Amino acid sequence: MTVERDEESRPEEGARRASDIRFSLHLLRSNPLVVAGIIISVGTLVLSATSGFIVNSGSWQHYQPELGLCWNNPVINWGFKNIFNCGGKVYTLGTDLKGRDLLSMIILAIPTDVEIALEVVASAVAIGVVFGAVAGYAGGLLDEFILRLTDVFLSIPVILLALVLVVVLEAKGLPVSLSLLTLALVVTWWPVYVRLVRSQVLSEKERPYVESLRAMGASRTRILFLHVIPNSIYPLLVQATLDIGSVILTVSALIFIGLTPNPYYPELGNLVNMGIQHLAIAPWLVIFPGLTIFIISLGFNLLGDGIRDVFDPRLRR
Amino acid sequence: MQTTAESGSENVLVIRDLKVTFNTYAGDVKALDGVDLSIRKGEILGLVGESGCGKSVTSLAICGLLPPNAAVESGEVLLNGNNLLKLKKEQLRLARLEDIAIVFQDPTTYLNPVLTVGSQITEIIEAAPEVFTKRLVESRLAELAGPASAGRPAAEIEAERSKLRSSLEGGRLPRGEVKRLSKLYAVSVLNMVRLPDPERVFRMYPFELSGGMKQRAMIAMALIRGPKLFLADEITTALDVTVQAQILELLKDLKEQISGSVMLITHDLGIVAQVCDRVAVMYAGNIVEVAGVEELFKRPLHPYTQGLLAAVPRPDVTSGELTSIEGSVPDLISPPTGCRFHPRCPHAFERCSNEKPRLLEVSPGHLVACFLYGK
Amino acid sequence: MVAVLIALSFIMFYLARGLLPPTTALAPFITPKMNDVEKLALAQSLGVATASCPSYGAFSTQVAGCIVPLWGQYIGWLHQIISGNWGYTLLPGIAGTQTTWNVFWARFPYTAELAIGASILTILIGFPLGIISATHNNKPPDHVSRVIALGGYSLPQFWFAAILQVVFVLDLTVRGAGIFPGSGSLSTTCGICVGNIGTIHAYTGMPVVDSILSGNLAYFWDALVALILPALTLAVTSIGALTRIIRSSMLESLRQDYVLLARSKGLKERVVVYRHALRNAILPAVTISGLLVAFFLGGAVVIEDVFSWPGVGSTAVAAISVVDVNFIELYTLVTALIIVVANLAVDIIYAKVDPRIRYT
Repeated sequence: MTVERDEESRPEEGARRASDIRFSLHLLRSNPLVVAGIIISVGTLVLSATSGFIVNSGSWQHYQPELGLCWNNPVINWGFKNIFNCGGKVYTLGTDLKGRDLLSMIILAIPTDVEIALEVVASAVAIGVVFGAVAGYAGGLLDEFILRLTDVFLSIPVILLALVLVVVLEAKGLPVSLSLLTLALVVTWWPVYVRLVRSQVLSEKERPYVESLRAMGASRTRILFLHVIPNSIYPLLVQATLDIGSVILTVSALIFIGLTPNPYYPELGNLVNMGIQHLAIAPWLVIFPGLTIFIISLGFNLLGDGIRDVFDPRLRR
Repeated sequence: MQTTAESGSENVLVIRDLKVTFNTYAGDVKALDGVDLSIRKGEILGLVGESGCGKSVTSLAICGLLPPNAAVESGEVLLNGNNLLKLKKEQLRLARLEDIAIVFQDPTTYLNPVLTVGSQITEIIEAAPEVFTKRLVESRLAELAGPASAGRPAAEIEAERSKLRSSLEGGRLPRGEVKRLSKLYAVSVLNMVRLPDPERVFRMYPFELSGGMKQRAMIAMALIRGPKLFLADEITTALDVTVQAQILELLKDLKEQISGSVMLITHDLGIVAQVCDRVAVMYAGNIVEVAGVEELFKRPLHPYTQGLLAAVPRPDVTSGELTSIEGSVPDLISPPTGCRFHPRCPHAFERCSNEKPRLLEVSPGHLVACFLYGK
Repeated sequence: MVAVLIALSFIMFYLARGLLPPTTALAPFITPKMNDVEKLALAQSLGVATASCPSYGAFSTQVAGCIVPLWGQYIGWLHQIISGNWGYTLLPGIAGTQTTWNVFWARFPYTAELAIGASILTILIGFPLGIISATHNNKPPDHVSRVIALGGYSLPQFWFAAILQVVFVLDLTVRGAGIFPGSGSLSTTCGICVGNIGTIHAYTGMPVVDSILSGNLAYFWDALVALILPALTLAVTSIGALTRIIRSSMLESLRQDYVLLARSKGLKERVVVYRHALRNAILPAVTISGLLVAFFLGGAVVIEDVFSWPGVGSTAVAAISVVDVNFIELYTLVTALIIVVANLAVDIIYAKVDPRIRYT
């Protein structure tokens, strides 16, 4: 009675995708958590780009020792008095040891973390796409080799490898710069993407529409780049978004431990590190920078989760 | 108001004006648009229609197993007089346990892959052991008296018999006994569905069985409850033709044994002809015709039924062309007004697009929902 | 996965030996009293300097022909460690007094204790949270649970550690309302600091366990209290990860046809959820749990550092800063081995739970 038409074997799947996208946007908009994620992530990116304009970019150098460790924001009471007489201008988030305005310092520190995160993720994705697609599509020994390579790198705890790399490179005479840190992180992050892309490519490869394309005479590279890769990007997108959050967490942790070009570089982990010494008398120095890291990471995680929920074909029924 | 099927024979199930709507992102899918159906005690009713006409939705609605985005807008489902739609959770669960059994289309996905077949049967008994106590003991007593126990020494048999009788009087069996008897009972039911070496099958996992065997196991899970209503939702569609025939034979034989009624959902008119007593034809969420099997094939009244029957390819007619019904299945989000079939109906007239025809009895036992007949 | 371990050790080796001056290789074995001749002999015996190298001075300035090629050094190093010679530790404060091997295994129980504590917390909280989230999908318990999970997952651990200390030690009020009274009695920033409450016999090396075994309840209490904050900090992130995985695989499982059949059979909802849905959903959770436990055992470096917890993780950080190659290597290899073992354990559990894997 009804003839089964295999929708998937028609190469013009693209038309279907368009309505999919409309549906996806609808889903994205309807979930409040996702919306929050979008707001936070986009807000963070915007803040990173414009921080120099919003806040006096010299705030990290603006010392006011006589107003050190000041808290005069009436909303929260820490239970002890300020060391100095801090009357006058209200510092929303207090001041640090040298009297610098914490809020400004935080805003100026955000771009550092965000930039590193974007660089790391972009590089890892690029490497992952190339190696993963090649491994998945070519198969055989090449695939095996690349897979073993990822196995090795995945067995190492991220922080350890980054630490070792940075220390060793530093000992060779290369100064610890943020680029070094970025490089170290890329080295530890790429295996996940290779695996991800590879498994996507492997499953796309078996899809009926690929067979049709081959039957029509399309070359393997053409199929790979024009069809297989574009259709595999959704999980990549999810992972990349989530990883932006993870990288920010890792970077700030590494710098907190001490892998920083100099202890006064504007960066959120650094702020926490500087504040830890005064934890008992100026907890805001630790709380707010860390809270910022938390919120940014939360935002990207919410967004990544949202994208995943939206694009997971099984959840869309 | 529609007329009931007839007086005299008792109805196990009566569905009145059932309306079910699915809430989807694309809109509200009005899947069931006032379904009227009744099943008599002890009969096999076939429910036919194309894919998507609402047959499965009907069976799920009866069991109370509709997905979360479905809403029952109105109507009643009366099982021996009780409205299933109004039951509380626990009552509904017990109704599913004892009164209604449903077997689904694809045994591969409906059996839990990590549990043995046997445990998936005995868990039913363990769900409410008090309900099954009597059956367990009686079945075992029958076994002991039967040919299977011929090889055992008489004293042993008598010992077990008296032990069973005394526990039967007490009313409750100890847990160990329940387990033992459950297993024996399950094996006997697996035997009833003609599974070879039922003891072995009991211990096996679903992936070790063939499609036909798995389907029999699912049927066993239904039979063991001795339900009043047995819903078979396209149970042979996923099987080979030969296995299909075997399962249908099984059904016909079981009809003698189970005192319950069967609603056989299918899109295959051939099966209907072989096994069913009465047939209901469904189209786009409505029942359009109900009649006895022979009557329906001889005198199809509704244009849709006529189209269905005409569309079945006949090997003895050499006309070469296949007939089909013009048009396609309607969009249930914005269905046609009035009679949902009218856009495809060769006999449609003005009234058909304005009013919806009700199911009326136009001759004894033969109901149609069409303005061509009666008022 | 022996190949993986070998490759791993070689990478670490290359990083340490290949990129650093060869003299660092000698550091774990040099005693202050050695003169240059002895040092050269040592270098040669370690397989770092060639037999034809004229003097220690030539060796340390890396005159051509004096340094054994890296491959050779690696083989030499393999010989050493296979015979159990990991050299003396370079760690500040105890340099030269103990062997690397001893230092590692003396510290490992602390990491293990932290790992066990964090694992227990993670599993006890993560599993129920995930299951509830799935069974009450899109209702308030789900939302709360998702927020908790996501929050934990997004938390900077080092910051959370500090926050916990703030909360428990300081007198914090918001607009005049007190949140937690200050209770400075908790020794939150000095790792395992116990007062004068007697001693315990080190059966396992783990304070909490040993104190029970030694019958010293006061010690046990202190050890437990000291364990709570780091374990909690470590667990928070993992709970987030575990809950999310369980939630998604349970949702997937609850959507399956066999769950529909189970319900249609009239089984109790609890049976449907636990016997049918959960048993199928549990596999990804097992994988993640395995990875988490392996990660904990690897010594969560940041946590140990922040809490001054004397485990192998914080020691590794110190070792890196003094380039104690042997310790780093030992640490890396043990960690990798743990991951391999954890994967094996996961595979075994998989086979037990899913009969399809057993028979195919």
